[in-house]
Amino acid sequence: MPGHDPLRRVLPLLEVRPSRVVRAVALGVLALGSSVGLAAVSAWLIARASQMPPVLQLSVAVVSVRAFGIGRGVFRYLERLASHDVALRGMAALRANLYDALARGPVTGVVALRRGELLTRVGTDVDDVGDVVVRALVPAGVAAVVGLGSVVLVGAFLPVAGLALLACLLLAGVLAPWLAARSAAAVERRGADARADVTARTLELFEDGQQLRVAGRLAGRLDGLRAADARLAATTDDAARSGAVAAAIGTGAQLLAVVCSLLLGVPATLAGALAPVELAVVVLTPLAAFEATQALPAAAVQLRRSREAARRLVELLPAATPEPSSGPGARGTGDAPDGSAHDGRLLRLAGVAAGWEGTTAVAGVDLDLRPGSVVALAGPSGVGKTTLLLTAAGLVPPLAGTVSGRDSLFVAEDGHLFATTVLENLRVARADVRPDDARAALEAVGLDRWLAALPDGLDTVLGTGAGDVSGGERRRLLVARALLAPARVLLVDEPAEHLDATTADALVGTLADHARRTGRAVVVASHRLAALGVADEVVLLGRPGGAQDAPATVVARGRHADLLRDEPDYAWAAAQESLPR
Amino acid sequence: MKPLDPRLLRRARAARTYVVLTAVLGAAAAGLVVVQAFAIAHALGPVVTATSAGATPPPAQVWRWVGVLALVAALRAGVAWAQERFAQRAAPRVVAELREQVVAHAVALGPRRTGAGDPAAVATLATRGLDDLEPYLVRYLPQLLLTALVTPTLVLVVLGLDWVSAAVLAATIPLVPVFMWLVGVMTAGTSERRLRTVERLGAQVLDLLAGLPTLRAFGREVGPGARVRALGEASRRATTGTLRVAFLSGMVLELLTTLSVAIVAVGVGLRLVHGGMELVPAIAVLVLAPEVYLPLRRVGAEFHASTDGIAAAERAFAVLETPLPRSGSSPVPVLDAGTLVLERVTVRAGERGVEAPSGLSARVPLGTGRPGGGRVVALRGPSGAGKSTTALVLLGLLRPDDGRVLLEPAGGQPLDLGDVDPASWWSQFTWVPQRPSLPPGTLRDVVADGRDVPDAALAAAARTTGLDAVVAGLPDGWGTRVGLGGVGLSVGQRQRVALTAALLPGADRPLVVLDEPTAHLDARGEQVVLDAVRAWRDTGRTVVVVAHRASLLALADQVVDVAAREVTGARA
Repeated sequence: MPGHDPLRRVLPLLEVRPSRVVRAVALGVLALGSSVGLAAVSAWLIARASQMPPVLQLSVAVVSVRAFGIGRGVFRYLERLASHDVALRGMAALRANLYDALARGPVTGVVALRRGELLTRVGTDVDDVGDVVVRALVPAGVAAVVGLGSVVLVGAFLPVAGLALLACLLLAGVLAPWLAARSAAAVERRGADARADVTARTLELFEDGQQLRVAGRLAGRLDGLRAADARLAATTDDAARSGAVAAAIGTGAQLLAVVCSLLLGVPATLAGALAPVELAVVVLTPLAAFEATQALPAAAVQLRRSREAARRLVELLPAATPEPSSGPGARGTGDAPDGSAHDGRLLRLAGVAAGWEGTTAVAGVDLDLRPGSVVALAGPSGVGKTTLLLTAAGLVPPLAGTVSGRDSLFVAEDGHLFATTVLENLRVARADVRPDDARAALEAVGLDRWLAALPDGLDTVLGTGAGDVSGGERRRLLVARALLAPARVLLVDEPAEHLDATTADALVGTLADHARRTGRAVVVASHRLAALGVADEVVLLGRPGGAQDAPATVVARGRHADLLRDEPDYAWAAAQESLPR
Repeated sequence: MKPLDPRLLRRARAARTYVVLTAVLGAAAAGLVVVQAFAIAHALGPVVTATSAGATPPPAQVWRWVGVLALVAALRAGVAWAQERFAQRAAPRVVAELREQVVAHAVALGPRRTGAGDPAAVATLATRGLDDLEPYLVRYLPQLLLTALVTPTLVLVVLGLDWVSAAVLAATIPLVPVFMWLVGVMTAGTSERRLRTVERLGAQVLDLLAGLPTLRAFGREVGPGARVRALGEASRRATTGTLRVAFLSGMVLELLTTLSVAIVAVGVGLRLVHGGMELVPAIAVLVLAPEVYLPLRRVGAEFHASTDGIAAAERAFAVLETPLPRSGSSPVPVLDAGTLVLERVTVRAGERGVEAPSGLSARVPLGTGRPGGGRVVALRGPSGAGKSTTALVLLGLLRPDDGRVLLEPAGGQPLDLGDVDPASWWSQFTWVPQRPSLPPGTLRDVVADGRDVPDAALAAAARTTGLDAVVAGLPDGWGTRVGLGGVGLSVGQRQRVALTAALLPGADRPLVVLDEPTAHLDARGEQVVLDAVRAWRDTGRTVVVVAHRASLLALADQVVDVAAREVTGARA
């Protein structure tokens, strides 16, 4: 376990300074210690007072009781600030380190990010790991110190009562938290399937509810949801048993300690081994000492939750050694000084097979791109066009064959638009994009009217109110950004998606012009064929014979016009798009 | 914001039982705390008093009280066990009840869920958001009830023992909420402002992380690292500022409760010195004083559980209290050879300041229901014109904001669609949307949908739609489990499943609405759709197609042009 504890791997990334944790624990000890001190001193005070000594003899106790009464609140406040400060620093450092690790790690890890829902959880996972300080480490440290302190205090008067208190504290502070964490883990583990079922059914009802109403199946589906929820309740109910036992132990241990103190202390007092005033302290101190252990079951549950979050973060983190070739310097320089591969080629694919995790999607692709080349990748959806582009861009290693030439940019269908201004979003391509360049690029993709309608023009922040972008505007912004990029090869995935036919075709034309005018090369993946007449070459991917599990290959290649003439399927598909409206 | 919303008790039966049980257990806990205090005082007091005076206390009595205390320990452990058990059992049931109601209500609100807020937010609420109720129910609510039961009981008991201490307690308890409220009011503005800053900074970091693949593709990933650090530092400073203020109320709570326990202890001690009090009641008061405040302090500690849980409940109630659209009750007239009339049908599209469709009028003659008498009606228009919305209006799932839809039976009186019983209207329709739903079950069950279908008919329909090729590629053919917990099918494959189901004989609903898939449809897929539409027309049905491609328009008997209109000034 220790070697594989993900929390241990992630904790260094929090960059927690031990002195800050010690300070938080010390303040917590002072706060809880005030509580225990209050109980012990007031027990002494009233026991002594009942012996009616001169009032002056009590004055120190009176003052300390009041001081403890004030100290608790004040120290607790300071402790909470100190421990939250540690946690917040840790979360900030963790976020930054996570970003750095992902930015510097192998590029394939980053591409994989897109494929999972890992990113959607990063925010909460970072918070959960950071919470381990406030909710687990500091409370545990405080409980250990205060618990032992109470044991020493009671033990100083009657050692055997101190041992009894220690045993009870261990019950409440170790056994109960262990049971609570075990219960929480069991609820989560055993309920996982049932919970996933409930979520799936709920989402289905939201997505397909209207269809179910029309089809008359809604009532049946709601019954299904109710049954799934009942199954979830039944499994978690069973798993939560030990949690209830933990609650019982927590409460019972406190009173058990008092009973033990009486059983051991009263005979000692009667025998004269323990002063009556000390008996009061021995009996009443445990009542307060257990406040220290009350937070521990929750702390154990938090520790587990933080560990789970850390496990997911570790999965995100690249393996310990970063790939030297993937650094930022590698991109943009390429093999030759001008960024080309060899003999004037910008990018060359030779016998490339592309795929994910060993499953080949496309095989046997050869492609040469020279300055001004415009190539289209066509083929039905799911044939592997995107995977091939990712491989060509060097973002996914080829499963076979070679990819040479590095200065290429993959323009993803779902590229990210940042929640900042239009101009800053375009500057992602290149830091020195001037407003005029930006306007020209937006005009080239047909967004000039959209830009004119924005309240603050290029300085409008995207994603808020007026800066909301539709699917089509988003696609065109991504292409505009690609046009501004210095890369010599643009690999553009489905630029026509979410666009009407005219705009889509014009956009492909814009990319082709850009390539020819600036001596770049462009590869466009598209399932829409009508616009591909501007390409020098159309590479048609497909699975001959319709075999579902064989990798796709190049079934035909040539100019759009030639394919229309020679490939009946291609011609048919293109004709469907170009029928008069 | 009420700590215990009566609507929660009204809507969730499990919550009612739970609150009653928790109250009973709370009362038991209050009684046990009192007995505990007396047992400790009676076991300890006489020993201290007697040995101080050099005498010997009656040991039998002392041991009897220690026995009582041991019994109380066992009972309190039992109560704690039962409370936790009931809580763990009730919480998922309450969540389940609310979830089902929210889902059912949201679906009944129609495709636009008018008034219920962002659909994604409602879905999140129903899947994960309602889980926030669990900590509220398990941790916060019991403490709230204990505060209501234990605190006053204990003050009364203390009053019986020592009225001065009772007065101190009774005076400080009301101060707790007053001070917390004061601190809250004085700091509300600043902390909310700061909280917004923190949220914005956090969102910026996540935005950078989410954009990392894009930054990486452009080779621009290194620069923002420093920015992530700077944002984190700014966020920490802003949060610390908020916490410094937010924790003040916690400090007030701790200070008042602990200080008044200290005051009680000192007061009791001084009265003991002057002989104004016996030791036994003094110990009882000393043991009881912190217990008076304990539930109150725990309520404070579980404050976050309460706000999250209450917020989740409020969101659920906001959905549940959104009024449902009025629905008609007339039965559907005979539609064969009748006419569907759209009169200036207008639907406003959310916040976009657009009407789509806008003022759509058309007369749509319906099929005769006999072979050869079918009709194909295509809805045409650029994307965003409101074609799919028009289909939803025809399906009776969406009310037009303006205008109406009339049903004219052949030779009969026209009837407003709004007056027709929705269930009977829906039973006339086969609807194949862009993303058809896939019920759980084997592929054959899903396609047959409870009908008795001969294999030959199934095979014929599957051939028309190309589902036969999909079936051939599945591990168990027609017996493959699909839908929930089964094999995932692509959108194109789902479309084929839905088309096949709609093509089978026995699916004799006279009206078909087909929303043609736009994205990723290849030549073969398109041919499937055309063949299906022809097959429906041949059986005499009316097919309303939302057409995105020329090929479908070419097939139509009637083309209805749908257009949107921007509403000027709507975005003021």
